[in-house]
Amino acid sequence: MALPKRIIKETERLMSEPVPGISAVPHEDNLRYFDVTIDGPASSPYEGGKFRAELFLPDDYPMTPPKIRFLTKIYHPNIDKLGRICLDVLKSNWSPALQIRTILLSIQALLGAPNPDDPLANDVAQRWKENEPAAIQTAREWTKTHAMA
Amino acid sequence: MDIDNRPTKRRKFFFAENPEDDGGDVTLPNVESSRPQSATSSAEKDTLSETEHNDLQPANDPISKDKFDVDTFCAFVGEQVDRDVVQKIQDASNGNIERAVNMYFDGSWKANMPARNIQNQASGITSWMSRPSTSVKHSPSKSEDKPTVPVTLKHMASERYIGSFGVEAWSTKSGTNLIRPGEVVNIERTRLAPKTKLGRGGKPVTVVNRYQKADVITRFTNSRGEEVGRLPEETARWVSPLLDQKICRLQGTCVYAEERLRVNDTVFLQIQAFMLKSAFESSNFVKPSDDNRETGFFLEKESTEEKDLRLRQVALVKLFDEINLLPTTTNSKTAKHKKQGLLRAAEMAEQYDKEKSNKPKLSDTSASPEEEEDGEELEDDQLDMLYQKAQQFDFNMPEAQPASTFALELRKYQKQALHWMLNKEQDETSKKSTSMHPLWEEYTWPTKDANDAPLPTIEDQDKFYVNLYSGEISLDFPVQEQNCLGGILADEMGLGKTIEMFSLIHTNKSEEAMAATAKNVTSVNRLPRLPQSSNSVVPAPCTTLVVAPMSLLAQWDSEAMKSSLPGSMKTLVYYGSEKGTNLQTLCSVSNAASAPNVIITSYGVVLSEFNQIAAAGGDQGSHGGLFSVDFFRIILDEAHTIKNRQAKTSKACYELKAKHRWVLTGTPIVNRLEDLFSLVRFLKVEPWSNFSFWKTFITVPFEAKDFIRALNVVQTVLEPLVLRRTKDMKTPEGEALVPLPPREIKIEEVELSKTEREVYDLIFTRAKRAFNESIAAGTLLKSYTTIFAQILRLRQSCCHPVLTRNKDVVADEEEAAAAAAASDVNGLADDVDLQDLIERFTNDAKAAEKEAKDPINTFTTHALKQIQTESSGECPMCSEEPMINPVVTTCWHTSCRNCLEAYIKHETDKGEKPRCPVCRETINPRDIFEVVKYGGSSDNNTPVPENNDDEDAEETTEMYSSSPVHPPPNAQTPVPRISLRRLHPYSPTSSTSAKIAALLRHLTSLPITTKSVVFSQFTSFLDLIAPQLTRHNISHLRLDGTMNQKMRTQVLRSFTSEDTTSSSPRVLLLSLRAGGVGLNLTAASRCYMMDPWWSFAVEAQAIDRVHRMGQTERVEVVRFIVKESIEGRMLSVQERKMAVAGTLGVGHGSGGGGSIEDLQTLLG
Repeated sequence: MALPKRIIKETERLMSEPVPGISAVPHEDNLRYFDVTIDGPASSPYEGGKFRAELFLPDDYPMTPPKIRFLTKIYHPNIDKLGRICLDVLKSNWSPALQIRTILLSIQALLGAPNPDDPLANDVAQRWKENEPAAIQTAREWTKTHAMA
Repeated sequence: MDIDNRPTKRRKFFFAENPEDDGGDVTLPNVESSRPQSATSSAEKDTLSETEHNDLQPANDPISKDKFDVDTFCAFVGEQVDRDVVQKIQDASNGNIERAVNMYFDGSWKANMPARNIQNQASGITSWMSRPSTSVKHSPSKSEDKPTVPVTLKHMASERYIGSFGVEAWSTKSGTNLIRPGEVVNIERTRLAPKTKLGRGGKPVTVVNRYQKADVITRFTNSRGEEVGRLPEETARWVSPLLDQKICRLQGTCVYAEERLRVNDTVFLQIQAFMLKSAFESSNFVKPSDDNRETGFFLEKESTEEKDLRLRQVALVKLFDEINLLPTTTNSKTAKHKKQGLLRAAEMAEQYDKEKSNKPKLSDTSASPEEEEDGEELEDDQLDMLYQKAQQFDFNMPEAQPASTFALELRKYQKQALHWMLNKEQDETSKKSTSMHPLWEEYTWPTKDANDAPLPTIEDQDKFYVNLYSGEISLDFPVQEQNCLGGILADEMGLGKTIEMFSLIHTNKSEEAMAATAKNVTSVNRLPRLPQSSNSVVPAPCTTLVVAPMSLLAQWDSEAMKSSLPGSMKTLVYYGSEKGTNLQTLCSVSNAASAPNVIITSYGVVLSEFNQIAAAGGDQGSHGGLFSVDFFRIILDEAHTIKNRQAKTSKACYELKAKHRWVLTGTPIVNRLEDLFSLVRFLKVEPWSNFSFWKTFITVPFEAKDFIRALNVVQTVLEPLVLRRTKDMKTPEGEALVPLPPREIKIEEVELSKTEREVYDLIFTRAKRAFNESIAAGTLLKSYTTIFAQILRLRQSCCHPVLTRNKDVVADEEEAAAAAAASDVNGLADDVDLQDLIERFTNDAKAAEKEAKDPINTFTTHALKQIQTESSGECPMCSEEPMINPVVTTCWHTSCRNCLEAYIKHETDKGEKPRCPVCRETINPRDIFEVVKYGGSSDNNTPVPENNDDEDAEETTEMYSSSPVHPPPNAQTPVPRISLRRLHPYSPTSSTSAKIAALLRHLTSLPITTKSVVFSQFTSFLDLIAPQLTRHNISHLRLDGTMNQKMRTQVLRSFTSEDTTSSSPRVLLLSLRAGGVGLNLTAASRCYMMDPWWSFAVEAQAIDRVHRMGQTERVEVVRFIVKESIEGRMLSVQERKMAVAGTLGVGHGSGGGGSIEDLQTLLG
């Protein structure tokens, strides 16, 4: 299947006008598959970390949202052990007008503003609620251990 | 009669009657051969008397029976008779001496006598001896009455002897001495009124009915005037018309009859035929060279006239055959054709009548314009073949230059046409020679009667003339008149037949007209060359009459002006109020200088004047109308109008008088060979304008499946008469005859909305059920109209569901009748389901109207500007730039139509409410609007359509012309030239439908200077389209069959005007039927066919109104076809028809849905 014009255009734009702190590079053998790196937002427990993720555009993209998963371990109430992300725009709030760029920006924003009320990793969320400073501390440590290599 | 047959016949008789005489059978040939040759060679019964006088040998009859005494016989006849003559007579008379004597005198013993067995049983009992000898002596007395010296008369007596023949009549009475041999009998016809149910001559009427035909009974009476018997039916059949039509008087002599007659006994008669003077005088055919079947102005006479002619024709042929009268001279043409053929033709005609007898007779319907057409339809390949020859156009044909007063430049082929036409008009050389008319035969009056007595002769009248093809007889030499100084110009539509005709009008003028233009008034006194029998018809030597369909009158008029230098052409449109003009004074020779060169009138006017004259008793002169003048030239435009020779209009046209006659038609044969006959009849092409002749040579062979012969003949008729070129003809250099811009036909599939679909499906299910039921019941043909009406409904519902219901609107010409019939049969009128659906449909529409206002009115000018900018940007979904078919949501977000629709579908399939992809606002799929950009938007002059939307918000329905919404009253900035239209209307509301929406989409995207023609066969559909166009500020006009001539002219003029401001109409709504013919609409370059017709030919003809000579632009045609509907199936029917029709675009005109296979395709 030929690559839709939209994907080509998005890819081109990601290259020519990169978003600061975010990079997405398609695989040569599969242009729907992207290697993604997201910098931890400043003044967040993830600051300084470089989080790798994989992003895949399904066949019916942009009707359906891209599939995205963190590869780097991250301590976050909305991201589970497998790196799956709980984010409304990736699910029910997806709109075909959204793009890879906007989605990645949303994820970056999610790192800066965890939402333990809508958790994916329940234990993390629990802790975040009970003892937020401790949780943040753990997040920092995880970032140091896994995302700053 | 055939001499060689006689011995055999006699033998047979011997065998039956006298078996003991078998021996005589063997010797007989010898006896016969020894007979003097004179007796046999002069076999003609009329010359028998010679033998009688010459052969004075003593009778020596060894084989005579005791009954038959030769001496007695000789004594009776008063002379000695040759022995074998006696033998023969004896045989023939069955030994009855009385009969023998009679036979001897009248010569009937030589006649074939069939059915002898019956007569023998009846005869032979009564002894002849018992009869007083005096009675026998009566027999020769007739010859004594005759003058012995030839008398020469100055004038024809009231009758003249022509010949005699024998006949075996049968008696209807029994009695003694009813009739005696030698007695003069009268042959009489008593015709009862055709409808009388009374018995006749004491007989019940069933006798007549047995043969299921007209009364032909011919009786004979004895000298006392008492009825004795009748002529046998086979004789009576041809004798009766001769008597009825006062052509002949018959006088008989009884040759033999039983003394005691019983009913059904045979009576032998010798009948002498006398031609009556009245036969030659009858006004109907006194002028053979003139129109041989003068139609006259009395239509009620028409019905029987052809039949009478046919009967007379058959009767005369039979009569001449019986009396053995041979023509002195015949034309080579007729000589080739045997009399047998003629009779066969006539008999076939009779059979044909019989077969049709259960159908309504022509005579009953003669007043109605739509009459039964006879003749089989032509297959298309046969038509091809016909035209092949006529179409062999010689590209090297000489050209002729038109007269200097002709203002236009002719193309090469048009100059060639002019040359050809000039030749046809000037072909007068043959007129000078007086050759005999090809269909007539010359006969010499007999100088001696049956008894060889000299007959009175008449000075200068030893010959008479008979046209055995029409049954006419004449004493005058029938001169062949070259009547046809014209022809058939059958160039295909768009090649400029009108222009060609005008070049002819300019170039070939009568001498009178030339003189008049030269101001040489003295020569005007010359008499016109065509002698006219009609008393008060005045020649109009300067005037050409053009008869055209009403819609073309204006076009002819304007073409006349266009093609002529100023002052060189005077036209008169003879129509409506102009009819007050007295053409006699206006066009007369004395007024030549100011007479109109061209009078243009319609078929309707011709017909109505014809009727007026008929009502006034046929006085053509005093009327002062078209029939009161003898034109120089008549041109019938779209002459297939008169293809039915029985139609009143055709008959009226035949009656118009002119020297030159032309017919213009693209289709000289529409579907029957008889179509051509009517043209030929109008052109007065001898001999083909004689229907009997035509029938003999063309119809009969054709119906007898002798196609090759018939078509060959038609080709020979056509070839010298017809000039035909087609648009696809190529010059030898490979150039097209007329270079036309290309034409592109697209089929656009239209999807019905849900409610429309429901209506359609319901009707379809019903139609299909009715179809299947009637197939199962085997009553398909009976319920044909019902099913047809159902199909009609289906087609209407494809256009607009309301069409199927609204009786006021459905009043669609003849189809309304079918629809009415259907609603009766199926009770559709009270149909709750359908009514429900349609109500739902209209309710939906009303709801839509209310709702529609709200979201739409939220668009401000600002929003529209934004929409305009955005819609030319990138689609948020597919990143196409600019968007493909941009659509906008109520939240003002734009995207490609397909993208948004796909997304909405994706979401609804998931069970989600669709939301705007950009702002996630929930969106109603119905509140999506197409962004329509006006073509030619750069044109700032183009005024904005009137801003009536502020006040008339209610008017706004699914389509919303938003560009003018709230523009600042004195806005300096150009208003965004876009408008929004609801993509998915709530429903095809009561005022619009899927098709109308599709049409609007097309029309609004066209540049404002492009003109379009919208065709529909349902004028009621046009009624629904028009308000929608108005609503969207598309100025439009309409032309249909209901408009009168003035209105039509006006419509055409304003449509074709060069004025291209937005107020000038750019759309013409045209009913397929009214607009299919003749109109020139080259101002338009787009055609929209709203609904398919059964045959594409009709649509093609409509398209050709636009795509014809004069068209400079590429023509685009869009045919709207509803997806998955009967319309798609109609296309397959069309395709099949096209395949049958081959490459030739002629032939198949209209014609309905047709065959059962077609129905199967449509509903199966």
